Amino acid sequence: MAATMVSSAGALLAMLNETHPQLKQHALYNLNKFVDQFWPEISTSVPLIESLYEDEEFDQHQRQLAALVVSKVFCYLGDLNDSLSYALGADSLFDVSEDSDYVHTLLAKAIDEYASLKSKAIESNAEEANVDPRLEAIVERMLDKCIMDGKYQQAMGIAIECRRLDKLEEAITRSDNIHGTLSYCINVSHAFVNRREYRREVLRLLVNVYQKLPSPDYLSICQCLMFLDEPEGVASILEKLLRSGNKDDALLAFQIAFDLVENEHQAFLLNVRDRLSVPKSQSSESVQPKPSDPEPTQNENSTASEDVPMTEGSSVSTATVQETDPNEAIYAERLTKIRGILSGETSIQLTLQFLYSHNKSDLLILKTIKQSVEMRNSVCHSATIYANAIMHAGTTVDTFLRENLDWLSRATNWAKFSATAGLGVIHRGHLQQGRSLMRPYLPQGGSGGGGSPYSEGGALYALGLIHANHGEGIKQFLRDSLRSTNVEVIQHGACLGLGLAALGTADEDIYDDIKSALYTDSAVAGEAAGISMGLLMVGTASEKASEMLTYAHETQHEKIIRGLALGIALTVYGREEEADTLIEQMTRDQDPILRYGGMYALALAYRGTANNKAIRQLLHFAVSDVSDDVRRTAVLALGFVLYSEPEQTPRIVSLLSESYNPHVRYGAALAVGISCAGTGLSEAISLLEPLTSDVVDFVRQGALIAMAMVMVQMNEASDSRVGTFRRQLEKIILDKHEDTMSKMGAILASGILDAGGRNVTIRLLSKTKHDKVTAVVGLAVFSQFWYWYPLIYFISLSFSPTAFIGLNYDLKVPKFEFISNAKPSLFEYPKPTTVPTTTSAVKLPTAVLSTSAKAKARAKKEAEQKANAEKAAAAAESSSAAANTGKDKSSNEKDGDSMQVDSQPEKKAEPEPSFEILTNPARVVPAQEKFIKFMEDSRYAPVKLAPSGFVLLRDLQPTEPEVLSLTDALSSTVSPAGGSAAGQQGSASAMAVDEEPQPPQPFEYTS
Amino acid sequence: MDPKLAEVSQLFERFKAACAREDVDTCCNVLSKLKVLLTGFSSLPPLFEDTPNAIHELTLARDIYEHAVLLSVKIGDQDAFERDFFQLKPYYTDASSRLPPSSQEYMILGLNLLRLLVQNRIAEFHTELELLSSTALENPCIKHAVELEQSFMEGAYNRVLSAKQTVPCKTYDYFMDLLAKTVRDEIAGCSEKAYGYLSVSDARQMLLFSSDNELLQYIKEEQPEWEIKTGQVIFQKAKESASCKEIPSLQLINQTLSYARELERIV
Repeated sequence: MAATMVSSAGALLAMLNETHPQLKQHALYNLNKFVDQFWPEISTSVPLIESLYEDEEFDQHQRQLAALVVSKVFCYLGDLNDSLSYALGADSLFDVSEDSDYVHTLLAKAIDEYASLKSKAIESNAEEANVDPRLEAIVERMLDKCIMDGKYQQAMGIAIECRRLDKLEEAITRSDNIHGTLSYCINVSHAFVNRREYRREVLRLLVNVYQKLPSPDYLSICQCLMFLDEPEGVASILEKLLRSGNKDDALLAFQIAFDLVENEHQAFLLNVRDRLSVPKSQSSESVQPKPSDPEPTQNENSTASEDVPMTEGSSVSTATVQETDPNEAIYAERLTKIRGILSGETSIQLTLQFLYSHNKSDLLILKTIKQSVEMRNSVCHSATIYANAIMHAGTTVDTFLRENLDWLSRATNWAKFSATAGLGVIHRGHLQQGRSLMRPYLPQGGSGGGGSPYSEGGALYALGLIHANHGEGIKQFLRDSLRSTNVEVIQHGACLGLGLAALGTADEDIYDDIKSALYTDSAVAGEAAGISMGLLMVGTASEKASEMLTYAHETQHEKIIRGLALGIALTVYGREEEADTLIEQMTRDQDPILRYGGMYALALAYRGTANNKAIRQLLHFAVSDVSDDVRRTAVLALGFVLYSEPEQTPRIVSLLSESYNPHVRYGAALAVGISCAGTGLSEAISLLEPLTSDVVDFVRQGALIAMAMVMVQMNEASDSRVGTFRRQLEKIILDKHEDTMSKMGAILASGILDAGGRNVTIRLLSKTKHDKVTAVVGLAVFSQFWYWYPLIYFISLSFSPTAFIGLNYDLKVPKFEFISNAKPSLFEYPKPTTVPTTTSAVKLPTAVLSTSAKAKARAKKEAEQKANAEKAAAAAESSSAAANTGKDKSSNEKDGDSMQVDSQPEKKAEPEPSFEILTNPARVVPAQEKFIKFMEDSRYAPVKLAPSGFVLLRDLQPTEPEVLSLTDALSSTVSPAGGSAAGQQGSASAMAVDEEPQPPQPFEYTS
Repeated sequence: MDPKLAEVSQLFERFKAACAREDVDTCCNVLSKLKVLLTGFSSLPPLFEDTPNAIHELTLARDIYEHAVLLSVKIGDQDAFERDFFQLKPYYTDASSRLPPSSQEYMILGLNLLRLLVQNRIAEFHTELELLSSTALENPCIKHAVELEQSFMEGAYNRVLSAKQTVPCKTYDYFMDLLAKTVRDEIAGCSEKAYGYLSVSDARQMLLFSSDNELLQYIKEEQPEWEIKTGQVIFQKAKESASCKEIPSLQLINQTLSYARELERIV
């Protein structure tokens, strides 16, 4: 017999009206069963059931049942608030584990409600949240259930959202894959936890959990600790690892150090370094030798060593320690290394070597620009110099300048300042010899005679750029220079340099020096001083901000106000809500320049958080402020707030990019440029494309620069629009009738497009998704070039090399191969430009001939070098051949492989291979990272599976002699490459630092 | 036989006996007990579980509820009628495939229709009607109710009142009396709207009373706001004087035209 189905709830509803309580119970019980089916019928009787729920005389259980029925009906009616309140009344009858739409909906609602109550309570600083205990009970039941069912991620998400750290901890510790859950949790806390304070709490909890684990993941712990700014924790972990007898632990420690360095948090790193305990038997000299001020007459050799007090001091100490306890000796040796890493010197050195050896910059482009730029147009002239500096940033290749000394000497006054400062960009990170390089231009002590103040100021600025964020050795010198001069141009340079070198150190003495420069009330020096104070105090949210604000109100000079406004903004870097008072104060100011600073404060305080409140505020200012400057900056600031989610930016600013106001359009272009920098995001390019042919010249300028920032390191194979863009740039530069502004934009854009010898990208986030302070600050100051061109150089701070650099225990670069699972053409360097056949065919041949000859010569040289390197490698191998012939053969085969692949791109006819073997150190562009695979049968195993950056390699065959690739190649190649330009060899300096590329000889252009 | 079932049947016999004695209080008490006992059977709606005694239990329960409905008519309790009828209804609709049809079914359905008519719940009346099959519509009990409704709707109130003589069943009397009152209320409502006043004799005719006294009695009880003055019944119309608001059309037109003019000027 077929089961009979009831067709209406009428009978049950009628039964509710019966007088006998047992009948009502029966009715309720059955209604609850059928409510999913008959809720429309029941909904008319809801008041009746409600009255049952409120009936005090009714049995408790029955009242809950009534509440449950009502709750279900309300849920179906879409009235979730009422539904929830009745579900709470149903208490234990509301079963969180039930798998029904009703329960799912209400749970979501309950959790939302609970989370919003909790966070509201915390935001209003109430001690105890005024939360319905029944609601809490439901959420807790839900959390327990998630944990029981093994849905840890879900449980963690809810726990974080509801600010239940106790539950979060429980979820993590009870999960089956604690490491996985922890890293998931870290990601979540960065991506979804908006309030900084709370994020810190979460991270602190994570650190605690990490530390309780039997095999802690030190890499992640240290990242968390860095965010929490707890150098003691990092130091103790590092020390523990260093003291361990296991070599792998030491490797891990090095890896941690490199990862920390990547975040460029100078003050923190120095703190960690200073907290590492000194080996027992060591004398005090190695702790921190104070940088001495070398005499200008000293020979180069000693200057170089003085400039690097760390390596110098510790090498002495290792020498002395070696006779004592062997364990201590090992520790001391490792300590030396790790200090080198933490001070950033090791990574800077390696980066420098990489950028130098892999430099692929295209001089022909510069030459074309130079020829097409009109002689008397100083804007374009200096733009070309900027472009050259950016193109060669960090490569130490200044061939172009040397070849065009005459042309260069046309730069006068401030142009001269920036031309000199450009050297700093080119030699960025050349810590050892920075001083000697710049010596010809530096102020000569008290005599004051020699050079013009412009080149002297520029040189001080250049020193700052060279030592940006690693200014230990140079600080003192810059301070002295600042104090000993009263020429405002030199003060300007010194202030900028000092700010860069002492970035974020919050050094009181330096601050006072700069302050005295500010109080001279000279517009030029004051502007730099304002910015410099901000750089010094980056992210400290110190009291100094109010002092600066007061002075900004006092002074008459717009330049000073602007400098101070930016400086104040820098001080609240990354402080999120803590900065709100200051932001409020600035954005409400009468003075548009201070409001403009307020926009920067918003941008920097909420950098990369995609915080909705900040975005809303910025959008509001972007459309409502009366000052164009403020509006432009407000839009631009969106780029900073959104850089962690670049996909969002084009969508958010797309309307603004069509604004009638050119300033807003300009801001939109740069916002996209900043947040999508180096991503090559298709939407970003589509948004910028129309702007590059805007009717207003400065919008075109902004769009061109932004486009270059987005497309940096892309080649035509990955997006055809890159090629179009390059041709567009060329056209604009060659066009005689183009506006100066957009021409300048085009020149700068060509510089950025090929920045750092085509081996760097603009990256604002480290690989662990932390923000890179220096890079963000660099871009923020760079965006100021609207008012002050020399600030363009700050963009070099945001460049980070796209390299995989594998290091062995000795922090040398061993020969190591790995695979990139993608067509080589996708990520190869853009092809060097060839003879431009478009216009002025008469004029060009000579120029082309000379360069192509040069290029040929260079290629030849490279081939020679390669051969040399090969020979060296072969020699090294043959020496080991006696020991182990079998292995030798295999490695020889490998060599052959790599050779073949190297030569493949040249043979066009062959079908392209679907993978490519890269040799350490290799260029790995960001888009390529996901294709990187490590070979399993390789001699080295990476400590951390990172596709780029510095990676420590574990040597699986430690007995065999190692073949070093980078240092080896350099020692044989340095001399011809370095010498080719200047024609003379600095043998003395070659002795000083063997594995360093040669500094180009100082040159001087006649002014 | 299942002891529970036996208990119920026993109690039911007592109930029937009490009914026969017209002992209303006992009836109500026993009925309440019976209903509670019925909740113990899972074969009854809304569960309809298949138990061995299902058919027997269902039939018994249906009988009980049918008696309950009739009892409620007897004591003139409309609410109880409604409750009991709704609880009875699943036995007619959902369980119809399993049970032999009840002899009282149409009578009770007709009663229900009548009740709806009395309570002037015309929409529900039609809903119920739609649920009936065509054979059911032929049944005199149902037909009677349907005809009544038609007369009621047409305004042939005299026919409604005269239908009292043709009731198919004695139990209908209770509702027919009520219906007469409903009809009168309806007429009173209409006259109130239609006339300012009426002479007493006209009103008596209109309201289908046989004597003036009955009319006066009615007015006193049901329509206290009517006044009787000098042989006239005066209806109070004051309350529905809420006039509909006038639309300030001229002003609106002027405003719109001026906007249009201004717009043209701007462009």
